[in-house]
Amino acid sequence: MDSVLNQVFAGLSMASILLIVALGLAIIYGAMGVINLAHGEFVMLGAYSAWFLQEQFGLGILVALPVIFLMVAVVGWLVERGVVRWLYHRPLDTILATWGIGIVLQQLVRLGIGPESRYVARPEILDGNVILGGLVMANYRIFLIAFSAAVLVGTWYLLTRTEFGTKLRAIIQNKEISECYGIRPERVYALTFAYGAGLAGIAGALITPLVSVTPGMGTYVVVDAFLVVIVGGVGSLIGTAVASGLVGTASAAFSFLLNDTLGRVALLLAIILLIRFRPMGLFPDKVRR
Amino acid sequence: MNTTFKTDIIGYGLFAALILFVVPWAFAFDGFELNTFARYLTLGMVAMALALSWGYAGVLNLGQAATFGLGSYVMAMHLKLRASASSYNGMPDFMGWTNVEVLPWFWEPFHSLTFTLVAGLALPALVAWLMAVFMFRGRVTGVFVAIITLAFLVALQLVFISEQRYTGGQNGLTGLAPLELFGWRADAYSTSFYYMVAGCLITALALGLAVVRSKVGLILRAIREDANRVRFFGYDVARYETLAFCVSAALAGWAGMLYVLVLEFASPTYMSVPFSLGIVIWCAVGGRESLVAAALGAVVVNMLEGRLSSIFVEGWFLFLGILFIVVVLVMPRGLYGLFSDAVQRLQTVSPRDRGGKVATKATPLSATPAVKEEN
Amino acid sequence: MKRRSFLKGFTIAGAAGVAGVTGFPGIWTRGNSAYAANGEIPVGVLFSLTGAVAVVESTLRDACMLAIEEINASGGVNGMTLRPYQEDPASDPATFADRARRLVIRDKCVSIFGSYTSASRQAVLPVVEGRDNLYWYPTLYEGRECSRNVMYGGAVPNQQQQEFVPWLKEKFGGRFYLIGNNYVYPREENNVCKIILSQIGGEAVNEEYVPLGHSDFSSVINRIRAAEPDVIFCTLVGDSDVAFARQLHAAGFDPEKMPVASLTRSEVEVKAIGGDAAAGHFSSAPYFMGHKSAENEKFIEAYQRKYGTDQVTHFVSEAAYFQVYQFKAAVEKLAASDISPVNIRNAAVGLSMVAPQGEILIDGNLHTHLWPKIGQWQSDGQAKVIMESKQRIAPEPYWAYEGQACTENGLVRS
Repeated sequence: MDSVLNQVFAGLSMASILLIVALGLAIIYGAMGVINLAHGEFVMLGAYSAWFLQEQFGLGILVALPVIFLMVAVVGWLVERGVVRWLYHRPLDTILATWGIGIVLQQLVRLGIGPESRYVARPEILDGNVILGGLVMANYRIFLIAFSAAVLVGTWYLLTRTEFGTKLRAIIQNKEISECYGIRPERVYALTFAYGAGLAGIAGALITPLVSVTPGMGTYVVVDAFLVVIVGGVGSLIGTAVASGLVGTASAAFSFLLNDTLGRVALLLAIILLIRFRPMGLFPDKVRR
Repeated sequence: MNTTFKTDIIGYGLFAALILFVVPWAFAFDGFELNTFARYLTLGMVAMALALSWGYAGVLNLGQAATFGLGSYVMAMHLKLRASASSYNGMPDFMGWTNVEVLPWFWEPFHSLTFTLVAGLALPALVAWLMAVFMFRGRVTGVFVAIITLAFLVALQLVFISEQRYTGGQNGLTGLAPLELFGWRADAYSTSFYYMVAGCLITALALGLAVVRSKVGLILRAIREDANRVRFFGYDVARYETLAFCVSAALAGWAGMLYVLVLEFASPTYMSVPFSLGIVIWCAVGGRESLVAAALGAVVVNMLEGRLSSIFVEGWFLFLGILFIVVVLVMPRGLYGLFSDAVQRLQTVSPRDRGGKVATKATPLSATPAVKEEN
Repeated sequence: MKRRSFLKGFTIAGAAGVAGVTGFPGIWTRGNSAYAANGEIPVGVLFSLTGAVAVVESTLRDACMLAIEEINASGGVNGMTLRPYQEDPASDPATFADRARRLVIRDKCVSIFGSYTSASRQAVLPVVEGRDNLYWYPTLYEGRECSRNVMYGGAVPNQQQQEFVPWLKEKFGGRFYLIGNNYVYPREENNVCKIILSQIGGEAVNEEYVPLGHSDFSSVINRIRAAEPDVIFCTLVGDSDVAFARQLHAAGFDPEKMPVASLTRSEVEVKAIGGDAAAGHFSSAPYFMGHKSAENEKFIEAYQRKYGTDQVTHFVSEAAYFQVYQFKAAVEKLAASDISPVNIRNAAVGLSMVAPQGEILIDGNLHTHLWPKIGQWQSDGQAKVIMESKQRIAPEPYWAYEGQACTENGLVRS
C-alpha cells in the first residue's frame, strides 16, 4: 500500500514537471499552430539563466524566477520576430526551422559557456520531507506540484480575464476580423510566443535541483511535452493539465509494474492509440478555425 | 505528361552519370573517398524514400529512420551469424555474455542470404503497412501522422536498446563478416562496392520514378493537394497513402541494408530521433518535390557536414543549424525550388518561352498549397 | 520542353556545386606514403565536442591536447613534432566510424586517441582492425574485449571491483541494490559484482536498468526505499548519475547508512551534483584529483593553467593524458623510418611509466596495470582517498569468464 501511495506521489511529481514544460508549448501551439521543437532549448536557457544569476549575483532560483522568465521571454520574442513569424502559413516547416533554432541555441551555449554540466544550488528552505506513515514526500516536489498548479491558474487568468487574453482568443477565432477591430496580431503573436518561452524558462530553472544542467538537456524533455500537448488537445489548457496528470501517473504506474524502459514503451504505445482514436485530443478545441 | 516524363528521364540520367562517372573520377578512384561517398549515397536513398511519401503523398513521416533501422538490423543479423559461424553453437558473442543458451528462433532464418535480402525490403514494408492501415483507415493526417510516427520511432529504439540479449543493445551489432553475393565479396573500400551502391540508388530512383509517373503517382499528388476531393471522386485515399508509405519504407529498408555494408556495423542510433529529423532536413534542403533532388540534398548536406567539421571543429554544428533556418526561410522548396524559380524567371524574360511558363505552372509538381499562399 | 532545360541546369549546377564542395583530384589525397614525414608524426584526436557525450569527451580532448602540446614544447619525439588532427564525431557511432576512417586513411595517422562510450569504441573497431592501426582508448570499460589494435588505458571490472566490493560488504553489509543505465557496461559490471558477492556471501537485492539520459528517479528511489539495501551499487553515467544523486539527496537518504558506491562517478559528475549531495558517498577508480603525488600536482597545475582554475581532472582525463606519454615513450624507441602503428604497439608492450596515479605498466594484452583507489566524496567536491590498493592490479578483461583469457596472442580459450 505504501509503495502504491509513494508511486502515486511520484506520478504527480512527474506530472507537475511535465505540466510546467508543456504549458508554454501548448500555448504556442494552440495560439499559432507552431510546432516549436526549440522549446526544449528554452527550458535549457532557463536552467542556464538560473546558473548565471547564481554565479554572478548569488541569486537563488526562487528569487531569480521573475528575472529568468524575462530573460528567456526576450529570447522567445527575438526568435518569433526573427524566424517564426515568416512561417505561420507553413506549420510543417516550423518543425524544421525551430529544430534549427534549437541546434543554434544549444551550440551557442556550448561554445559560449562550455559543454560541461553545471551546478545550480537547490533552495534550502525546501529541504527535507513530509512523512505520513509510509508515504515520504520531498518538500521540493510538493512545492513543484503547487507551483505548477499556480502557473496553470495564472495562465488561465491571463487568457480569459485580461485584455491581452481576449485579444489573443479573438485572433485565434478570426484573425482578419480581429484586425478590423484594431488588434495587431503580430504584436499579440510575438508576446504569446515570448510568454510561452518564458514559461519554459521557469520550468528549466525549477528542474535544475533535480537534473543535470547541460546544453543538451532540453532534448530529453521536449518529446514528452509534445506528447502531452497532443494528447491534451490543441489549445486546451485544461486538456494539457489533465494530459500531464495522465502521462505522469501512467508512466509512474507502468514503471512500477514493468520497469522504466518498458514503462516508457507502454506509455508511447498508449499515446499512439489515443491519438489514433481521439486525434483532436482529450479536450478538443471547439473553436471554428 | 510525355514531355515531363522525358525531362525527368534526362534529369535522372544526368544524376546517374554524375555518381557513376564524375564522382569516381573526381576522387581519382580513391578507396576511402569512394567509401565515404557511398555512405552519402545510401543516405540519399533514404531521403529519396522520404520524398516519395512526404513530397508526393503529403505524408510527413518523422519516423523514417525506423524502417531504415529495421533494414540495417536485418542485414547485420545475417552478417553477424556469418561472423559467428565458428563460435559456440554458432551464436553471436553478445548472446553468450547475456546468458542466452540457444539461438532465438527469429534469428534462425537469417542464416539464409536470400531470406535476408527479401526480409530487408519486406519487413520494413510490413511494419509500415501495419502502421499505415492503423493510421490512414482512421483518417489521421498532417501533424498527427508526424507525431505518431515519431512516437513509434522512439518506442522501437527503446525496445532495440533494452533487449540487449537479442539485439546487442546500445552497442548494436558489431564485428560483422563481409557480405558475399554470388561469389563477390563486398569490400567497403573497393570501386566495385561503390558501383554496387550507386547502382542500387539508381535502381531505387528508377523504381520511385515509375511510381510517381504512374497513375498512382498522379492520384497521390491529388491527395496531397486535397484529400477530400479525391475521396469524392471515389478513390480509396487510405489505400493510396498506404501504398506510398510502404514503398517508401521498403526503399528505406534497402538503404539501411546498404548502410550496414558501408559502415560495417549496425547501431540503434540509426533509429534515433536526431537521425530521423536529419532525413527530413536533407529532403527539405534538396527539395521534397523531386526524388532526385532529395537524394542530392542528402549528399550535399552530409558532404558539407563532413568538410565543415574538418575545418571548424568547434563551430560546424552551429553553422549547420543556421543553414537549416535559412533554407526553410528563403528556399521553402529546397534547391529544387530555387532552380525551378530561377529558370521560370529566365523564361518570363524571353517572350518566346511564355508558353513554357504556363505549362510549368500547370503541373501539380510546381507548388505546394502552402507556397501558393505566399505567392 | 522548358522543364528539360531547367532540370538540366539544375543537375549541372548541382554537379558543379558538388565538385566545388569536394574539390578536384589530388587535393585531399595526400601524397606521402610514409607515416612520419617532414618531421611530423600525425595523430588523430577523436573526442565529441557536440552531442550527449560532449560533457565528458570535451575534457578528454583537453587532457589529450595538453599532453600533445607539452610534448611538442619540450622538443617533441626524437626531434619530430606530433601533428594532431582533430575531428568532432558528435557523440554518434556512425560519425565516429566515418571520422576514424578519415583519420586513418586520409590523414595517415599512426594512432588515434579517442572516445568515451563502448558504442563508439565498437564503431571504430572495424576501421582500426581493418587497417591495422592503433586506437588509444582512455576509458574504463566492461572488459571482455581483446583487440590487438586498441590500447586500453582505463580499468576493467576486476581492477575496479576486486577490492571495492569486499570492502563495502565489510563496512556496510552485503545487501546490494544494483542500479545502472541500460547498456553493456553497467550490465557487465553488475555481472562481475554478483559473482564477487556470491563468493563473499552477499546478495543483490535488485538489479535495475534505466534508459541512457533518464532523469526522473522517483520510481527507482521508491523501490530502493522499499528494498532497504546496505549499499546502492551504481553504474549510472553522466546526466542520469547527476539526476539520481540530486534526487536521492532531496529524498533524504543518509550516506552513512546507505551509501552510493559508484564505479562511474568522477569529479566531473560531482561538480554538477554539488558537494553537499555527493558528500559521504564512494567511488572506486585508479585516479582521483585529490590523490597526493608529485606527478599529479604537476598534471593539475598544467591543466588548470591552460583551461582555467575551475576545471577538474578525473580518472578518464588522467588516462587520456598519460596515454599520449605512453605513445611518446613507445615512438621514442623507434627509428623514424620504422614508425608504424604495429611497431608502436610492439614497442609499447611492457612499457612502464609514472603517471599521476602511480607507476603504471602496459600489459601484453594491451590493457594497463593500474592502482585502484577508493575515494569518499567530500563537500568541497573532491574525493578523499581512503584506501589505496597495496599493489598494482593486473588487468583481466575476461575475469568473469572461466577458461578465457586475453593475452599477448589475443583471446585464448583453454
